[in-house]
Amino acid sequence: MKKIFIADDDSDILEVLKIMLQIKGYEVEATSNANENFISNAAKADLVILDLWMSGIDGRTVCKALRAAEQTKHIPIIFMSANSSLKEIAKEYNVDYIEKPFEMSYLLNKVQRLTTGKVEFPSI
Amino acid sequence: MKTHENKYEELIAQNEDLTSRLEEAMDIINAIRYGEVDAVIINKGEEPELYTLKTADHTYRVFIEKMTDGAVTLNKEGIILYCNSSFANMLGLSLSEVLAKAFEDLVHPKYKTFVNGLIKKAWKNDCKGEIILSGLQKEIPVLLSVNTLEIDGGKSLSIVITDLSFQKEMQEQKKAMEQKDEFISIASHELKTPVTSIKGYLQILRHGFNQDGNAKAEEMLGKAETQVNKLTKLINELLDVKKMETGQLQFAEEPFDFNEMIKEIFEENESLWTKHIIRYHPRDDGKVLGDKNKIGQVVINLIDNACKYSPEKSVINISATSSGNKIKFSVADAGIGISPEQQERVFERFYRVKGLVESTYPGLGLGLYICAEIIKRHGGTIGVTSEEGKGSVFYFELPLL
Repeated sequence: MKKIFIADDDSDILEVLKIMLQIKGYEVEATSNANENFISNAAKADLVILDLWMSGIDGRTVCKALRAAEQTKHIPIIFMSANSSLKEIAKEYNVDYIEKPFEMSYLLNKVQRLTTGKVEFPSI
Repeated sequence: MKTHENKYEELIAQNEDLTSRLEEAMDIINAIRYGEVDAVIINKGEEPELYTLKTADHTYRVFIEKMTDGAVTLNKEGIILYCNSSFANMLGLSLSEVLAKAFEDLVHPKYKTFVNGLIKKAWKNDCKGEIILSGLQKEIPVLLSVNTLEIDGGKSLSIVITDLSFQKEMQEQKKAMEQKDEFISIASHELKTPVTSIKGYLQILRHGFNQDGNAKAEEMLGKAETQVNKLTKLINELLDVKKMETGQLQFAEEPFDFNEMIKEIFEENESLWTKHIIRYHPRDDGKVLGDKNKIGQVVINLIDNACKYSPEKSVINISATSSGNKIKFSVADAGIGISPEQQERVFERFYRVKGLVESTYPGLGLGLYICAEIIKRHGGTIGVTSEEGKGSVFYFELPLL
């Protein structure tokens, strides 16, 4: 079973993402606080979804930490945000992205693509 | 008799001499008056004495009078000896009200100590400072440039006063604009966050009802989702307009196949356009250089509008034809149409078409404005032809790669 790690400081969005992914049989680890614990545990993840603007630790910082560590640097990352410069930011960090609000089918297709087959990111 | 005659001739000669000297004096006075004389040298004794004339700097006086900055000279006691009319005008006072006044009396009480310090310092070194003057009707932010000046062997202070009101006003306007932009940006973000979870929960529920075979509930949730999508569209329109106004709207520049883009749009949006008969027959292939998503946004907007303003089950004809080095995309509906005078205005910002029955149609009046901006920024043209009651044709042309 594929493991997805999600960090978003909006608990409702976190729940929505969790349910949607669980419907498709993914194992989900969701947090509203992407602390050091989350980052070190992420070594087990097949995919990490990060909100860009989080109170506390910010999505970009988590991304940098994941890319810096040997055991997590290969894991595909998706940035999520309602920020209009999301596309540019994702390009800068060489990660995939999903704009908020999003279509459930779009999310699931993207997640499936990134967790199966060859890991080739970003798919922008 | 002889003496009388001699006396008479003497007087005539004296008179002639006096007249010519008077004429010479008059010439000198006039020359001084008209600023043609810089200095007068008078040979009184062995050493000639040089007198610089105060009116001799006429040109410079005019120059100082004409400049928009205020100019003032002060004596040691800080009393105004001279001021140009710009300075008096700045304060809303007459020249006589300003002359012989203490400079500090024209300064806002809060800045008196500062100004006195500045003046004291200026006797040693030239200096500058921003203060506020108390005018007759308003307070004026100014920049003071204070220098020492030597006039006729005596020292006085010269101050050039630059009015900063306009600059300050512009700064404030800019700040207000930035605050407004930031507000819209934050507001859009804050509006999208709850919309994201609402849309998410609706989709989960719809999926659940679909699994249970509850078609009615699924349909209703689909409708709720459509409304949420409309809300998202409005938020995005606000954001796009804000970006256009602040020059932040950036376009990708990538070549893409126009018909391929239309095909993708239909695949993604067909479910939304089921109430009309939409006919599209792509005829020509053509690649366009630009932002595929943004051009796609224009296409979707034009089709959405055609659906919005034409009766259900009516035909909407969509075509893309190329001629020369251009591709023309058009959407023709059999809807309410637009009056000639409104046709000119539909691409204006905030303009909303006034209907025959309804007073206005829903929307912010931003959609077509955004479309026009996107097409213009791609070097294209956008337009409409229409007949009231019969329908409209909205089209745009873009240069082919």
